[in-house]
Amino acid sequence: MKKSAFWLLSLLLVMSVFLAACSGGGEKASTEKEPKDDGKASGEAQEGGTVTFGYTQPFKGVLSYAYYEGEDDANALQFMHEGLLKVNDELISEPNLADYELSEDKTKLTFKLKQGVKWHDGEELTAEDMEFAWYLIADPTYEGARFANVAMIKGAQEYKDGKAETIEGIKVIDDYTIEVTVTEPSVNLLENIWVYPEPKHHYGDISSKELPDSDQIRKTPIGVGPFKVKNIVPGEMIEFERFDDYWQGPAKLDGVVYKIIDGSLAQGLVQNGEIDVIEAPKDQWEAIKALDNVNPVEADAMSYSYIAFDWGHYDTKKGVVVSDNKKFQNKSLRHAMAHAIDRQAFIDGFANGLGKPLNTPFPSVSWAKIDDSEINQYEYDPEKAKKLLDEAGYVDKDGDGFREDPEGKPFTINFDAMAGAETSEARAQFILQSWQEVGLNAKLNGGSLKDFNLFYDTIEADDPSVETFMGAWGLANDPDPAGIWLSTDKWNMWRWYSEKSDELIKKGITFPEDASKDVTEHRQEVYNEWQKLVNEELPIIFFEQRVDPWAINKRVGGVKVTPFGTDEFHKWHIVE
Amino acid sequence: MGDLFSKEYKFNQRINFCLVRGMEMLQYTIRRLIGMIPIIFLISVVVFTLAKLMPGDALSGKIDPLNSDPEYIEEMREQMGLNDPIPVQYVRWMSGVVQGDFGDSFVHKRPVMELIGDRLPNTIILGISALLITYLLAFLMGRYSGRFAYSMGDYLISAFNYLALAIPSFVAALVAIYVFAINLGWVPASGSIGSGVEAGTLEYYLSKAKHTVLPAIVLGAMATAAYTQFLRNDMIESSRKDYVRTARAKGTKESAIYNKHILRNSIIPIVTLLGFDIANLFGGAIITETIFTYPGIGYLFVESVNARDYSVMMAIAMMLTILTLIGNLVADLLYGLVDPRIRLS
Repeated sequence: MKKSAFWLLSLLLVMSVFLAACSGGGEKASTEKEPKDDGKASGEAQEGGTVTFGYTQPFKGVLSYAYYEGEDDANALQFMHEGLLKVNDELISEPNLADYELSEDKTKLTFKLKQGVKWHDGEELTAEDMEFAWYLIADPTYEGARFANVAMIKGAQEYKDGKAETIEGIKVIDDYTIEVTVTEPSVNLLENIWVYPEPKHHYGDISSKELPDSDQIRKTPIGVGPFKVKNIVPGEMIEFERFDDYWQGPAKLDGVVYKIIDGSLAQGLVQNGEIDVIEAPKDQWEAIKALDNVNPVEADAMSYSYIAFDWGHYDTKKGVVVSDNKKFQNKSLRHAMAHAIDRQAFIDGFANGLGKPLNTPFPSVSWAKIDDSEINQYEYDPEKAKKLLDEAGYVDKDGDGFREDPEGKPFTINFDAMAGAETSEARAQFILQSWQEVGLNAKLNGGSLKDFNLFYDTIEADDPSVETFMGAWGLANDPDPAGIWLSTDKWNMWRWYSEKSDELIKKGITFPEDASKDVTEHRQEVYNEWQKLVNEELPIIFFEQRVDPWAINKRVGGVKVTPFGTDEFHKWHIVE
Repeated sequence: MGDLFSKEYKFNQRINFCLVRGMEMLQYTIRRLIGMIPIIFLISVVVFTLAKLMPGDALSGKIDPLNSDPEYIEEMREQMGLNDPIPVQYVRWMSGVVQGDFGDSFVHKRPVMELIGDRLPNTIILGISALLITYLLAFLMGRYSGRFAYSMGDYLISAFNYLALAIPSFVAALVAIYVFAINLGWVPASGSIGSGVEAGTLEYYLSKAKHTVLPAIVLGAMATAAYTQFLRNDMIESSRKDYVRTARAKGTKESAIYNKHILRNSIIPIVTLLGFDIANLFGGAIITETIFTYPGIGYLFVESVNARDYSVMMAIAMMLTILTLIGNLVADLLYGLVDPRIRLS
């Protein structure tokens, strides 16, 4: 299927050229005559109307934050439910449905719920609903992936293991107050702890295991958000209508339609108005951006791609990475390979400019990102790359055009990348050629790209043929690099072991010794040091940070785009 | 008296013949059904093996620090039995299948049979509409081609048929969407139902029809080649038969010869092709459904393969296998019914 996408796209392009040539010409001319619309939605805001939000993968219909898994369901949930806290523009958690208070010793967190927040069925949100959500997730039969978000609550692990009847650390004080005790103080507790309440009165006695398949979640889900579910057509469409008792006042729109479309049709459907708001497929962005009825918005995303060097393997018994691969231990080699690649040209050529080179694992939207002036930028410089290689002893001794390693043995580099996008092959060739141009004999591992599953299977199994590979990570709003970067992390895919790095990562989530010091400032200092380390050591080549393109029809106003998607749904409106 | 006797005798003989024939068919059907069991078993092994040979599983897609962690993935693999030896997994799966339980979908978090049951109506509506379009077009074109064989019109029809056969369905689907949905705006581009309609109302059924018509035409009109050429060739062959010559000699009108005598005889064998369409009907159109975002079995199948949702994927594959086998049996039985000369053995 994916392979045919290339043909779909090329066909669509050819067709759009033809069709634009015969029908679109007149229209364009007429809009040029009256360029009064400056693109911004500045017209009069209207009450009512319906907006269609598009997505290109079918949704599963698990409409509960505790159980959903993919972006497909999250897109629907965002209209209908909210958490006690929300992430602000600085990517820091702030009060939403509840205020919070942290005790002196940082182990007791008290939420004070706003009064009068209503579920869609008219019941009031209470502290029990939050308690209920934690119990659902810590339940021994719970099959979702969120346990990590309640594991810090005292007694949650015991409850999950069946050793305790209740969770010790949860205490409901009154209808609007709930207190949690955590096992140990943590700087990013607010970012990590689960804050989405679940409607206890609505779910009744259904067990945590049965809930994801229950009608309460699939057919009549409720939340406290600005829109309530009116109609669900499985896998295809969800219709929402305004919830008049929304705690921030009723939304401006009458309703929202969440509609699934085929990605290859995005441009056409945005053009003819069937879809109002959509994260546009990157390969169609050039065309969609140019549409007359579209406000294009480009938002920095919390994700980055990288080219990793293989450092060794994961010792499953000890649960730690072992950097025993000698091949890429030479730092000059790694630096040279980074300097050899023109990342900006890559972004312009393959992603319609939707991306920016980055040099640390923190995208620029993260508050913890170090100032660019303090780190090496690894700008494109093939001459410098060649010089570095020469100095490190990687020179061409047998005259075949490729460098040998310092011992004079042939030096080849296997490269792995994922298949899937229509430009995947060309992207991989771009990287290979960049390295070949500075005299490194790089080739595709096994002669072809790997599909997503095979790619990660091969890498996770530490297959000896893997030497360099291109991957990507999406990140949470808290900058803590644990989970990917610690030497004990299984997802430390490149198997880089560094005591210094481990130490800094762990220090990054501690409170400053000097209690008067600002926590964020303290963490910033630690993370700056850590970024300098990985930037200099370059265990992976940091490649580009992503930019998400959003197409928003000019008739829709008030749409806020964040690194994680769209927001402020109750303020969306139709522009006259 | 003698006349009556012979009539009765003939009648008895006919009943006898029907009885014998009926027994024969029943026997044959039972034998074929029994013969299917080892085939289904073998295919189940193949389907299971191929599924397991695919790299990755439903949890590979969860490599995402934002939403899960390695401990969770490992725990779920263990819980779902993905770490067990392959034969153990096969026996577990098969013992469920025999009892009609295809397990739960990991991705959708619900029983596979429910999931398929939800999608089937859409697929069947689309399948039947497409089939009707195919039959109608093929009948009209085949009749014309058969009657005016080797004429300009015949060649044009052949050209269209083979062109339609050669054009990949995603190309046809995209062109159709671009022209009729996006540029002309006659029909919606995707989905199986419009927003804001209430189930059960007239508007609802109209919306349903409006959403189905374009994919049905794309599916139906592109698949006429086999039927058209089959009908055409049969008609040409029939037109050379003795009874046709007799009819001509008696001065029967040419149109009556074709429309009554030949067509009636030539249509019969085509009816038997119906058997082969059964599996197609339920299997859905993988590519067409995906492009039209039409939530049927084909779409579900693609989705499941991409997400490595084995239980759904294997259930659909098994369902299609069984339907294909049954379809073949039905086709053979229909042959026997319409043409008593064919012996079932």
